[in-house]
Amino acid sequence: MSATSAEPIPRDTEHRSRTDARHDLFFRFLLRFCAMLVLAALLGAALSTLWGGREVLFKDGFRFLFSSDWNPVENQFGALAPIVGTLVTSLIALLLAVPVSFGIALFLTEIAPRWMRGPVSAAIELLAAIPSIIYGMWGLFVFVPFMASIEPTLSDTLGNIPVIGALFQGPPLGLGLLTAGIVLAVMILPFISSVMREVFQTVPARLKESSYALGSTTWEVVWDIVLPYTRSAVIGGIFLGLGRALGETMAVTFVLGNSYNLTASLLMPGTSISSSIANEFNEAVGMHRSALIALGFLLFVVTFIVLLIARFMLRQLQRKEGR
Amino acid sequence: MNDLAAATAAPLTGANAPAKLKVRDVHFYYNGYHALKGINMDIPEKQVTAIIGPSGCGKSTLLRIFNRIYAIYPKLEAKGSIELDGENILDPSYSMNRLRTKVGMVFQKPVPFPMTIFENVAYGIRHHERLSRADMEIRVEQALRSAALWDEAKDKLKQSALGLSGGQQQRLCIARGIALRPEVLLLDEPTSALDPIATGRIEQLVEELKHEYTIVIVTHNMQQAARVSDRTAFMYMGDLIEFDNTEKIFTKPGKKQTEDYITGRFG
Repeated sequence: MSATSAEPIPRDTEHRSRTDARHDLFFRFLLRFCAMLVLAALLGAALSTLWGGREVLFKDGFRFLFSSDWNPVENQFGALAPIVGTLVTSLIALLLAVPVSFGIALFLTEIAPRWMRGPVSAAIELLAAIPSIIYGMWGLFVFVPFMASIEPTLSDTLGNIPVIGALFQGPPLGLGLLTAGIVLAVMILPFISSVMREVFQTVPARLKESSYALGSTTWEVVWDIVLPYTRSAVIGGIFLGLGRALGETMAVTFVLGNSYNLTASLLMPGTSISSSIANEFNEAVGMHRSALIALGFLLFVVTFIVLLIARFMLRQLQRKEGR
Repeated sequence: MNDLAAATAAPLTGANAPAKLKVRDVHFYYNGYHALKGINMDIPEKQVTAIIGPSGCGKSTLLRIFNRIYAIYPKLEAKGSIELDGENILDPSYSMNRLRTKVGMVFQKPVPFPMTIFENVAYGIRHHERLSRADMEIRVEQALRSAALWDEAKDKLKQSALGLSGGQQQRLCIARGIALRPEVLLLDEPTSALDPIATGRIEQLVEELKHEYTIVIVTHNMQQAARVSDRTAFMYMGDLIEFDNTEKIFTKPGKKQTEDYITGRFG
């Protein structure tokens, strides 16, 4: 080493290091530009929807948020029904999809024989590739009649339970919040289970072995070791699915029923932010158009709040763990 | 190889202590590969037994049969019998849960669970016993004291175990193991990821723990085997070549292969 460092540096090296520095600088600038582009697009979309919806947002203010009265003829716009519809259908989707995805991921990483893992994983990922219009069509022509046939049973059984019974009453239309929530659950399932499966595989074998060596069952290993170890990624996967559920348009529009009447029952038709926009955008002018763009802005806000809550939850969990 | 087979056919026993684990004709297959070829040995109670041998000789494999941890993976198969206090632990009817409260294990690299120090120790206990908060605190303290970690950890029991140093983490893993009050403690190269000072502390700890536990330690550090163990087993290519008092193995080994290995001619 000492022999080579004693030699004078050839001029070529100097030139090389100068061009290297220049290339690095350019590359760094390019990367920063890419990242900034995302921020600019996000900000641009948020601001333009805010601007487009200004007539309704600034005129009606909070009444737009808390009124369920949506009457384009009389220029009355209240967004409560679409907001509730969006949140409720997404919540149903999460309640159904998260446990099932967890089960799928768990089975594929911990229990399934090796030959089964590949084909089943591929099948799940294919589910994600089905266009949402197909889900909508399947929902309307196949799933809605099925729901209509089981809804009387639902009302007769679950509908009689105090408090939550109100959620399951009403005529058996087939269309409605519950149906939309279930279709959404099927749609977001592949996202959540793929992410969970991927991150479950990253748990070091020695961590699991240590737990098994203390006499843990498979369930205890998964619940106490695998889940905490992968927690932030799992929550990330859940919110990826939730993001899709909140914004999903076509499939939901087919099966939701598109009614602005706000009812307690999940069996009744409702509407969501994105399906309202999709249904009415063609014929909307003036205030109506502004109201729809304002709805789009609300979707931004709702998604943003949901993500904030996720962050907050994650931090609380980390604190509990002693980090 | 014929003389080898003859030598390992009869169990190599420790003369001076009752056998805690009686290993009889244990074979192990890994995806069809014959990794252990009929092991017979008696592990003496409340002594330290070291298993040495070159990489791939099957020493870790043998250790991993003693608590059947291999059983969590498919396509691994052990044949033969291992008696723990007279009962065959390889019998499928022997409860895994019971086996793992009796036989604890510490792995090569320290693997604290992603939870607080207190929870790391309490975790295993919770699987087997219902204890009040106060009783649990006593048990955790006892375990940490036995693992010589209490003085360093007592003020940060509520902090994440991931904040401890490597040596402390490994002692935490030992504490976690002995918190279940096992009878046998398996150590799989417990110091291979540690610096010399941390290694010294672990070895000292092993010396103290052997008064209460039967300890089996796998190591590829021959000096370590010589320092901590009472008896040493030398394995080579899936066979148990020689098993005798540590002093004898390291001063006048009975087999040529053992001598070649401990004098560093191969391995």
